Amino acid sequence: MGGRAQFWVGLGCGESVSREQGRAAGPLLLRLFSRVASLELASGAGPPASMRRDSRHRHWFAEGPALVRTAADSPTTMRTFPCLRGPPARPPLPLVLLCFLAAARTSLADGHPPALTFTSLPAQEEMLAKYSNISLESHNISLTEHSDVPVEKNITLQRPSNIELTCQFTTSGDVHSVNVTWKKGDEQLENNYLINATGSILYTRYMFTIINSEQMGSYSCFFQEEKEQRGTFNFKVPELHGKNKPLITYVGDSTVLICKCEECFPLNWTWYSSNESVQVPLDVQMKDKYVISGKHANETRLKIMHLSEEDQGSYWCHAIFQLGESEDHVELVVLSYLVPLKPFLAIAAEVVLLVTIILLCEMYFQKKKHTDDGKEFEQIEQLKSDDSNGIENNASRHRKNESAGQ
Amino acid sequence: MARRAEPPDGGWGWMVVLAAFFQSALVFGVLRSFGVFFVEFVAAFEEQAARVSWITSIGIAVQQFGSPVGSALSTKFGPRPVVMAGAILASLGMLLASFATSLTHLYLSIGLLSGCGWALTFTPTLACLSRYFSRRRSLAMGLALTGVGLSSFAFAPLFQWLLSHYGWRGALLLVSAFSLHLVACGALLRPLSLTEDSAMGGPGAQLAFLLCHGPFLRYTVALTLINTGYFIPYVHLVAHLQDLGWDPLPAAFLLSVTAISDLTGRVVSGWLGDAVPWPVARLLTLWTALTGVSLALFPVAQAPTALVTLAVAYGFTSGALTPVAFSVLPDLVGNGRIYCGLGLVQMVESIGGLLGAPLSGYLRDVTGNYTASFVVAGAFLLAGSGVLITLPHFCSSSTSKSQDLVIEALDTKIPLPKEGLGED
Repeated sequence: MGGRAQFWVGLGCGESVSREQGRAAGPLLLRLFSRVASLELASGAGPPASMRRDSRHRHWFAEGPALVRTAADSPTTMRTFPCLRGPPARPPLPLVLLCFLAAARTSLADGHPPALTFTSLPAQEEMLAKYSNISLESHNISLTEHSDVPVEKNITLQRPSNIELTCQFTTSGDVHSVNVTWKKGDEQLENNYLINATGSILYTRYMFTIINSEQMGSYSCFFQEEKEQRGTFNFKVPELHGKNKPLITYVGDSTVLICKCEECFPLNWTWYSSNESVQVPLDVQMKDKYVISGKHANETRLKIMHLSEEDQGSYWCHAIFQLGESEDHVELVVLSYLVPLKPFLAIAAEVVLLVTIILLCEMYFQKKKHTDDGKEFEQIEQLKSDDSNGIENNASRHRKNESAGQ
Repeated sequence: MARRAEPPDGGWGWMVVLAAFFQSALVFGVLRSFGVFFVEFVAAFEEQAARVSWITSIGIAVQQFGSPVGSALSTKFGPRPVVMAGAILASLGMLLASFATSLTHLYLSIGLLSGCGWALTFTPTLACLSRYFSRRRSLAMGLALTGVGLSSFAFAPLFQWLLSHYGWRGALLLVSAFSLHLVACGALLRPLSLTEDSAMGGPGAQLAFLLCHGPFLRYTVALTLINTGYFIPYVHLVAHLQDLGWDPLPAAFLLSVTAISDLTGRVVSGWLGDAVPWPVARLLTLWTALTGVSLALFPVAQAPTALVTLAVAYGFTSGALTPVAFSVLPDLVGNGRIYCGLGLVQMVESIGGLLGAPLSGYLRDVTGNYTASFVVAGAFLLAGSGVLITLPHFCSSSTSKSQDLVIEALDTKIPLPKEGLGED
């Protein structure tokens, strides 16, 4: 690895500059006002002193040696440029231009003409220091050259944040031959991202800030070798959870519709009702009909009183965040009391029928048993009387015989 | 109706088994499946789950405490009118509950009114059933009590379906309609006069006898101890499994397996109780001891196979002890006093049931896992089986105890009624 050096430029404030020796020193495009530090590393050396000095500022620099993209053998001298910390007032552009022209000219004069190709940075007011107290979110995706499916990561965001997206690509081939691009949706982003290579892993990092709903969406990193490998970060506002099943109520009843989301703090909640497709805001002034409340910030409750059949339909709840809106719906069904009453009366009639059958059967069998018993009684009485008759007959025959025998 | 010397052991008795089957299904099946309504009540009344679960607790407590009242009334009027009146009360309670506007409404209508209705139906039906059988009593009891297990399977999805179609108000209305079938069950309870009935006296006399009867008191104490430990696993098994790291779906599956083995245990024990010539009290002691042992072993088991085996064993043995527990009573106090006896037993053992669940919950909170509560439950069951050993005729092999009691009663009190035909 002798003679190879690391060329990269770390920029604060979300800029990155790729520097390639061998490219013609083209015209320098300057639209920036932040600090630029360029440095070259001797092979295997650690971060240079200037880098360490620069690291006290809120910027990152890739650590460790890396392969240079140029074919230059001779080490180049170190150059550091003072980075202007986001000035409170825009510096006069001509002054900045002069600075860099001077720098470029110096480098050229040294006979080491590594042209600095500055990619443009949009001059956004959002990059001002007043946003230095919002949070930083970092997300990573790892890809290999054998990934079959595009890798996606879903990120939920409610408040404006600084975002840092990193994609790493592992390949067995040549890291230099990989073409790296970033896109938002389908639109290619300008080259204000960092590329770094360590061994056989290629890192790229894109930093930006999300302030409003226009910056939400899908951001993708692409690694082009033979096949294109893609990693996507999807930014969304938190989703709401209403009820999946319809809510069944009765006329004259009152009910509570709840919408909630996990760990979210919307700025505002609103409710709409819809019959087919048109969403109509609810008349919240009717205090005896609708009451909107919420115990915690992450839920809203709509209480509807004195329900009637016209209140049937879909109710939509909207949660409004700084970075967008999300909605969900709840179905309300209002039934009249006659609906369950019909099966109730049917079952009650069936029970009455059953009881009547059981009691009638029992009475019938008892009567039959009584008549049977009665017949038995008669038969026994008959036998008894026959018996007594028989005995009397015998006695009379005896007497007859006796009297006849004398 | 002729006075019989012996219970018929068949004939109309099988219709009474059918009536008792549907009746235990409609009372305890409904109570066990009522949990599906809780979610709806929590949302509709905006109350906490703990307050909503008081509804079934009050219902069960009223049913058990009111058992003596039901028993006393059945002794006087016969089971049929009492059960039919109770059925109408239970159904009325559910009907009124469908119009509820607050949780207190539900406490009063389902808890109090339906609870009273259930008190008037459950105990008299079981007592009537035991009067109809003597040799096949355990089998008849076992078959009748399977109603509880089967209905828990059927009612939970049925109630869910009702809730999704009619909301909770309509569902309560239809459950009230289902409960009306208790009236039909009551109609099937044809009164039976046994020769020993006239010797037993009215409810007051029976109560006095029972409260001084040593074996009966010991039996009541044993059943109370058993009741304290019996319900604990039903309440805490799922939580214990989740503590061990089980997912909700396999845990629910294990509960279903336990329920199936419970069902099998009831029928097998019923058949066994009649087939084996031992005194029934011995079988009860055996099943109770086995249940206690299986409960106490629960905390020791960690592997899934061991847990499944223990759960099946617990289900089988705990199901097995229920029909036998009810069969012991007629042998102790005689068929004539069965109504009062059963009522008293239910009332006293409910204290055990009420104490058991909070005690184990308290142990869980203090120790941090369910080991202590399972072991204590097992200990209660073993203590109950120990008390059962002191029952009379335990060590002898005679099975004609009921006849001895009848002869004893008849000798001391009223002379035999004249043999007549068609005397009602």
